[in-house]
Amino acid sequence: MAANRKQKKTAAQRRTWVWGLILTLFIGEMLFYTWCRVQCTQAGIAISAERRKGQELATLANSLKIELARLKAPERISYIAKHNLGLRMPDPGQTILVP
Amino acid sequence: MLWLVAIGTRAGYLQLYRGEWLSSKAVGQVERTLTLHGKRGTIYDSRHQPLAVSITTSSVAANPALIKHPGKTAPKLAKALNLKTRDIARKLAAKRHFVWLKRQATPNETEAVRALNIEGVDFLPEHSRFYPNTALAAQVLGFTGIDGHGLEGVEFYYDRELKGSTQKVTILEDALGRSFEADRRAGFYKTGHNLVLTLDGHIQYITEQALSAAVTTNEAKSGMAIVMDPGSGAILAMAHYPVFNPNTYRNYSREIWRNRAITDPFEPGSTLKIFSAAAAIENGSSTPSTIYFCENGNYRIGGHTVHDTKSHGWLSLQQIVKYSSNIGAVKVVERIGTQALHDNLKGFGFGQRTKIDCPGESSGALSHYKRWTAVDAGAIAFGQGVSVTGLQLVTAVAALANDGLMMRPHIVRAVADANGRPIRKVSPEAVRQVVSVNTARSIRRIMRTVITPGGTGVQADLDGYTVSGKTGTAQKIGKDGTYAANAYVASFVGFAPTERPALAVLVVVDEPKQNHYGGQVAAPAFKQIIKETLSYLNIAPADSLKRLRVSRDVKVNG
Repeated sequence: MAANRKQKKTAAQRRTWVWGLILTLFIGEMLFYTWCRVQCTQAGIAISAERRKGQELATLANSLKIELARLKAPERISYIAKHNLGLRMPDPGQTILVP
Repeated sequence: MLWLVAIGTRAGYLQLYRGEWLSSKAVGQVERTLTLHGKRGTIYDSRHQPLAVSITTSSVAANPALIKHPGKTAPKLAKALNLKTRDIARKLAAKRHFVWLKRQATPNETEAVRALNIEGVDFLPEHSRFYPNTALAAQVLGFTGIDGHGLEGVEFYYDRELKGSTQKVTILEDALGRSFEADRRAGFYKTGHNLVLTLDGHIQYITEQALSAAVTTNEAKSGMAIVMDPGSGAILAMAHYPVFNPNTYRNYSREIWRNRAITDPFEPGSTLKIFSAAAAIENGSSTPSTIYFCENGNYRIGGHTVHDTKSHGWLSLQQIVKYSSNIGAVKVVERIGTQALHDNLKGFGFGQRTKIDCPGESSGALSHYKRWTAVDAGAIAFGQGVSVTGLQLVTAVAALANDGLMMRPHIVRAVADANGRPIRKVSPEAVRQVVSVNTARSIRRIMRTVITPGGTGVQADLDGYTVSGKTGTAQKIGKDGTYAANAYVASFVGFAPTERPALAVLVVVDEPKQNHYGGQVAAPAFKQIIKETLSYLNIAPADSLKRLRVSRDVKVNG
């Protein structure tokens, strides 16, 4: 009788260990999965941030091109040439063609 | 045990019975559909200088549900955005989750709103159109509206090529609103195609300056000028006065937005005499030295009297053009017949569209010769009773400059992708041989005499270059339908150099007050445009080609 009770106790303990192991593996896998998802999310956020930086630099480059176009506008160049540098358009006779 | 059963039952209920509803709710909080607009393509001139570009601006939006104190917030936002407080207050009181406070705000306004640090206010990037040369070629370029659609000019005509693609993208966001699907979004920024125009920014500026001087000096209502390459039909400049700034087009009257060089026909006056002369030479009835009696300044025809500015007796065809005799032109048409004149004018493109790649082109008006009375035929011979656009007139004259071969005018040279690779090139297109090479050269020589002493266009003469042209002074129709006493259109059309024309130029000045003759009002502007443009294009003066002589100190044996 006592031997039977001891056998049952051992079997129950074994079952408990097995279930405990299964539960541990399950919880471990859940934690690992969650960790992977978080890493993936963080990587996505970092990529978005770098893309935004790239976009900002491209916007800056575009703005500089526009500023260059404004500075090279014929009206501005003509004004500087005539008023600041005292230049004027040459008469036909003043142009010498070097063949 | 009972607790476990209760928890299990609840979990089962949520997972199995309400699972679908809960999933969709979660997705709705995490996923967002974004509509992305690609950047509009750039418009360049022929030297690849940008004339119209897209810039990234910030538009200010708000979620009214998140604004804590709308009453206190509205005045602060209104001050920062230069808007009325009541408009902002109305938007913040709306029962919506999204309202625009200001589209395409300036950088200063954006910074001012950012400094307020108001929860529920967000900044969304948008593309806006900017014209770095302000008013240069404004009527040709046109402009875009708030949503980036072309509304006028080339922006409208080529809207499909220019606008970037629109894509709807689903992105995922975390609880803080940060997106983490950037890769999917980046691939959808498709910029529109770029345009390369035939316009040259420098020649456009030269033309606009000369036109502005002509209009303001003569206290005229408006003006237009066109510069064209006769060999290819490329439009090098198309200027208007008054001008407007397409960056702030709403501040200007709608009448100024139009490209009047192609939309508004006018009676050309004496400039049409060169085509009457061309008709006479082409059909063999006249040569440049054929003489006509010009009735000493008064000629009665069909119950009306045609006058000349100065009375003339016998004039050759060449002299009729040089002295711009109206009676001489009438006599030419009487000799060649109305059908010959009509067919010749149609051949030169009058009464039909040139099909230039710009919107709103008018065909002008040239009625069928069978409907002409005797006085109609006479009037049309010297350019009244017919209406043409500036583009038609310069294209017809360019045909004479191009040995009689008419080229189709065009404003776009190429369409390129965002990386500059050409997608489509526009090649010069010959329309038809309007008159023979000999006729064209004869007319060119006749037009040269207009600029010589005694001619009506001496003010267009230019040292070092042979210039050919014709003046025009046409009466305008008044509000009562008859010709007004003091309203004229003064014009000058021509090309240079005479033997191998590089440029065809038209200048039209509407209702000048100081003087009204084309030779006094428009010819000086024509001269300035030709002089500065030929110099800019490095086309040397024909008669004084100085060659630079150089030598080295070298001993020569033998």
